Amino acid sequence: MSFQPPTGSRDLLPLEVIQKTWIRERLQEAFHRWGYQRVVTPTLERLDTLVAGGRVRPERVVQIQDRDGIYGLRPDVTASIARVAASRWGQVHHPQRLYYVANVFRPHPQRGHCQESFQVGVELLGAGGLLADAEMLRLLQDGLTAIHLPPWRVILGEAGLTRLWIQGFPPVWQTPVTQALIHLDRVALGQLPSPWREQALAWLDLRGEPAQVFQQLSTWELTPAQWQRVNHLKSLVELLPAGFPLVVDVSLLQPWDYYTGIVLQVAVTQGHTVQLVGQGGRYDDLVGAYHPQGKTVPGIGFSLNLETLHQQLLPLGVLPHRPARPDWVVIPRGERAYRAALDHAQSLRHQYPDQRVELALTPPQEPPSQGVVWVDASG
Amino acid sequence: MLVIALAKGALLGDSVARLSQVGMDFRPLLAADNRFLQMNDPHTGTQALLVRNQDVPVYVARGQAHLGIVGYDVLRESQAEVAQLVDLGFGHCRMSVAVRQDSPYTCALDLPAYSRVATKFSHCAREFFTALDLPVELVPLAGSVELGPITGMAEAIVDLVATGRTLRDNGLVERDVLFHSTARLIAHPLSYRLNQYGLQELTAQLERIQVHPAHKTDFEHIQQREP
Repeated sequence: MSFQPPTGSRDLLPLEVIQKTWIRERLQEAFHRWGYQRVVTPTLERLDTLVAGGRVRPERVVQIQDRDGIYGLRPDVTASIARVAASRWGQVHHPQRLYYVANVFRPHPQRGHCQESFQVGVELLGAGGLLADAEMLRLLQDGLTAIHLPPWRVILGEAGLTRLWIQGFPPVWQTPVTQALIHLDRVALGQLPSPWREQALAWLDLRGEPAQVFQQLSTWELTPAQWQRVNHLKSLVELLPAGFPLVVDVSLLQPWDYYTGIVLQVAVTQGHTVQLVGQGGRYDDLVGAYHPQGKTVPGIGFSLNLETLHQQLLPLGVLPHRPARPDWVVIPRGERAYRAALDHAQSLRHQYPDQRVELALTPPQEPPSQGVVWVDASG
Repeated sequence: MLVIALAKGALLGDSVARLSQVGMDFRPLLAADNRFLQMNDPHTGTQALLVRNQDVPVYVARGQAHLGIVGYDVLRESQAEVAQLVDLGFGHCRMSVAVRQDSPYTCALDLPAYSRVATKFSHCAREFFTALDLPVELVPLAGSVELGPITGMAEAIVDLVATGRTLRDNGLVERDVLFHSTARLIAHPLSYRLNQYGLQELTAQLERIQVHPAHKTDFEHIQQREP
């Protein structure tokens, strides 16, 4: 018999908890500075909630069944927040600035077992437009700066623009082209007949420094609706501080197709490898999927993966590197001194509320180096 | 440093030859007595990792290798999240259904429901029979799957066929082709998007010298993928 945690889950021991708390608290402080408030939603949601509006496929949810129905462990928190927003329609003032710290669960793509991970994320509900998009990117920058993340970059796309562009293809190819863009499949796009092939490949490779991408886009023949999206992206980039590490990538699409505007990925480079630490985007129709009359409010958000952030920060030495040690150790001299020792420890805790006061439960093997108080029966 | 994962075995010679056309020299990996698992090319500052076929997408999906060269069959079986950049056109083979020469089945659909199918490629086989709406019992094996029908453990196999000689020598006959496969240049998606080490230009170079693929699958493989 094995009493290990199930595959895909793990125990977090004190040192790791201290380190992840350090990361989480710094992110939370940044979110607070921008006026965001924490929400807590259930770990377990109805499966219908999680898959509403075709947002996520049922097989991508870890499911649990009881006599009342089928539930799912949340694969992200956005669905829950959209559900809350729709159910409290009319009772709250917009915009709502919310953040969450939550564990999420996904089935392993190949092996199927449940994988648990921890996310910290924000959602800004009830505000569309340029300023809200800029707030999201600048808030992200603030958070990542607060945790001293090593060189990171944002890959920024525009799902609306990309979808409009895909609609220019004959209908039968639109789904395969979408899939090819999501998975960066040049080979599939290379099998399209000319001139679609050349167009598709050129679009797939349209990414890089913002100025250079906008320069290249200016030579494309786009519809007015597409230009509107390009100009939005351009105006957004102009609202970012100089030196904001940004790659504009017009073919960036997420497998979740509820994004309607900007989409983003956050990448961190360490040594020669690069890893994804976060992602997000604008979803202006999602809340409507939960409202009985389909009323919606615009939304935008991002989530950061706490495990990946931890992995990236650990070698840099910025995280606390040992479990917390006591500032005081109170040692009773024999059993008759127990009462006095307990009382003395308590008075130290009152006197120094920020310090740790421990009781020596067994006589110490070697005398602790500092903060030792021996207490005898008389106190 | 740009890192490329190369598959040991049949694809290695062509992979090294193709990379030499863009100035990377990994020829020492081809020596019969080579024991090195990684090798640096000082002229281009690139590193090759020598790994098993099935491990190429693993290294690339996790970003430990930026690029990889591996057969489409392996990619399709692994379902790894990697970018397929170029069909390199070599290492041609096909994934096929084969049965004993003396069996009455002329195609996969002839197989009775719940037939036993031995294979190293469970995912590909399941996908194929699901698309046919034919329930089968898969018998996963690590190799020598031809023995399945010979010993009576299975009615059919799903396996890679290059020349068809192994099948013939073992009294089997090919009945259906699931898909054709060639070597692919693959990349870690994020590294490609960030154009690390000029991946985009390198891809363009390799694309220009590619031999045109013998078989065009016309979106066949991405349509099979989950939306």
